[in-house]
Amino acid sequence: MQIFKSLQIKPWLPQELEDEKNLISSVLNRDKAATTALKFFLAVVTVIFFLFTITFLQRTQSFDFQALSGEPWLPFTNADILWQNSAYLLVASISIILAKKFTELENFKGVIISLTATALFTLLFIGGQVQVWQQLNQSGFYIYANPANSYYFLLTGVHALHIVAGVLVFIRCIWHFSLNLSYQRLASRLKLCALYWHFLLFIWLFLFFLLTSDAETFKTIALFCGF
Amino acid sequence: MTEIENIAVADQVDQSSHPSSFLSKYIWSQDHKVIAIQYSITAIAVGLIALILSGIMRLQLGFPNEFSFIDPSSYLQFVTMHGMIMVIYLLTALLLGGFGNYLIPLMVGARDMVFPYLNMLSYWTYLLSVLVLVSSFFVSGGPTGAGWTLYPPQAILSGTPGADAGILLMLISLTIFIVAFTMGGLNYVSTILQARAKGMTLMRMPLTIWGIFVGTILGLLAFPALLVSAIMMIFDKVVGTSFFMPAILSLGETLNHSGGSPILFQHLFWFFGHPEVYIVALPAFGMVSDVIAVHARKNIFGYRMMVLAIVAIGGLSFVVWAHHMYVSGMNPYFGFFFATTTLIIAIPTALKVYNWLLTLWRGNIHLTVPMLFAIGFIFTFTHGGLTGLMLGNVVIDLPLSDTFFVVAHFHMVMGVSPIMVLFAAIYHWFPLLTGRFLNNKLGKFHFWGTFLGTYAIYLPMHYLGFLGVPRRYFAMGETDFIPESAQTLNAGITVSAIIVGLVQLVFIANLIWSTFKGKKSGRNPWQATSLEWQTAQFPPGHGNWGEQLPQVHRWAYDFSVPQVKDDFIPQNFSPEEVEYLVSDQNNTKEKK
Repeated sequence: MQIFKSLQIKPWLPQELEDEKNLISSVLNRDKAATTALKFFLAVVTVIFFLFTITFLQRTQSFDFQALSGEPWLPFTNADILWQNSAYLLVASISIILAKKFTELENFKGVIISLTATALFTLLFIGGQVQVWQQLNQSGFYIYANPANSYYFLLTGVHALHIVAGVLVFIRCIWHFSLNLSYQRLASRLKLCALYWHFLLFIWLFLFFLLTSDAETFKTIALFCGF
Repeated sequence: MTEIENIAVADQVDQSSHPSSFLSKYIWSQDHKVIAIQYSITAIAVGLIALILSGIMRLQLGFPNEFSFIDPSSYLQFVTMHGMIMVIYLLTALLLGGFGNYLIPLMVGARDMVFPYLNMLSYWTYLLSVLVLVSSFFVSGGPTGAGWTLYPPQAILSGTPGADAGILLMLISLTIFIVAFTMGGLNYVSTILQARAKGMTLMRMPLTIWGIFVGTILGLLAFPALLVSAIMMIFDKVVGTSFFMPAILSLGETLNHSGGSPILFQHLFWFFGHPEVYIVALPAFGMVSDVIAVHARKNIFGYRMMVLAIVAIGGLSFVVWAHHMYVSGMNPYFGFFFATTTLIIAIPTALKVYNWLLTLWRGNIHLTVPMLFAIGFIFTFTHGGLTGLMLGNVVIDLPLSDTFFVVAHFHMVMGVSPIMVLFAAIYHWFPLLTGRFLNNKLGKFHFWGTFLGTYAIYLPMHYLGFLGVPRRYFAMGETDFIPESAQTLNAGITVSAIIVGLVQLVFIANLIWSTFKGKKSGRNPWQATSLEWQTAQFPPGHGNWGEQLPQVHRWAYDFSVPQVKDDFIPQNFSPEEVEYLVSDQNNTKEKK
């Protein structure tokens, strides 16, 4: 690890001064800075979901917790609609990689199609999530009725907010591309967008598993975690 | 796309696209220096509100029932708002938003932050959070009086002052603040990692930058815990969920909550709350190290250990949180673990104190105002740190919990100490902002008034804590175990507090007067080595570095180097530029 190597340097010694040419970093670009910022942001988001998850797992062991799957009458015993939403996000995540590839090849038609597909499937995911919320409400699984419902609305809501924020940045990328038609710039931005989309897909799959598990699974996880 | 377009703002050759209109230069500015000043003015303004609130609280404690405008509810509201404003909206914002913004690009040799627009957005979002917070003074029921820790269930139950709009505005304001901090924080770490000038290796960075860097990472990883708890409490309050709310009977009415865990909130809060101490302290540690080195004309003792200590403190700060919760009924083994980690974190912290003292040892100490405040900090921080060790032990903490001893401890360690550093830093870097010194006589008056005054406040407060005087009480009433003399002591503390408050007005007056009429400082008045003093234009203009970025050839602490003509070598001096003493060179030759 470069950072640990760096921490061993003794900057006050003359030989370290002589070695300075080896230490000088190359000129850095905006893309690298943006990548660093995005990685730190993903770390922040990871901490947010990690903390939500810890509180959720603790709550699963309380007397009033009623898991959302397991019994036939529970909404996610059959989670087809969530699988469908996952597929939307997966396709969006793949199409953004294609968009980046087409951008590198400067294939305008391919870029437009793949960008449109990314936007469309991401919006379908958000629409699908809204549909699930409506169905839960209509079935009497209100947000306040049970801690499992509360966490479902909370966690998927926070996840959806991050998706919406990503969509806004994505629109900004397209807007800039429409102004200057710079493929190189678009490719570097799509690389960051793709990383963000993959990350949110991963978070969603994790939430999907977590929120649709049955009481026995929660019991095992809680036992494993020491709750 | 041209090559220049792809290079970060921080590395660009100056393209002279300087803002020209008043709005773009001073209001919607993307210049890190202007944003830093905007942050600082806002933080100091809101801090003055918190200072006034503390004065009102002290009036009640020192002279109970003498002031009709203070009632039990408003007292709790003042306590809450004072604490939250000071910790979050003043200290965090001023140290990272103010000094972080001003110093990072200048000290690492960049033109600006890597994302100037995001930086501007960060300030305006911060201002919005302050406005939302302050607006709670004007809503029905007033601000929340739940205490700065905002513990549920009482924070959102009727009966607690500000339980309607007040608590909601507080939680919303905190959420907005965290968004603002994240925008700023991402900028700070990216700039430090990706926009350093050539030759500015990590181990050549001044300790100020190390402190800000690690403090920012702590903030990025710890504020989410506050965000999560704030969001969940908003849900409990507004939607009726039961994340933190147990089954409860409130004012004779059974509420619809059940099964929630108030202790869970405490864990989340302190998972943020303890690193918050170091979010404030680490930048302060860094800044005071630089002030001491410059004004003692000596390289900082044990630079590498200082860096490692900052990193170690940052890491350890995430595993000590539950020492704030010993009285919550935790498993004794749990308490043992957290007491141990708390004692372990004292090791790198003590190492820093020793290194500051060893830097001063046989240094050419200049007792300037910044140096006085820096030395004052070593006193107050050691004092507050040692009482922290006491409270870190379960058996001592239990009887002292929620007494004035705790209040005295945390005010010394994370109130007075960082503020001493802030003052040291303001007096030290003021010439960089304005090209003028702050008035020296007023500065010394400010230092002695603040230093002696804070001791007059907090030393007796430790004693009150030992007597068992509880914190957050509007009035003590008839309490057998508290002698009457405690009230006399409380009155004395109040008088000291008012004097210290008035002394700060002298500082504000000095700040305003010296900005326009202060003695001109000239370039690099303290003969410092770090890059911020070596700009082409002084005070530094937009873009910081004129035509080309500086190149760094050495660390930031080449003071009193033997055989060198001046007692300092700036970081951007190449070996060829260093002037040596002719006689010494001859002597050396002669010896050979």
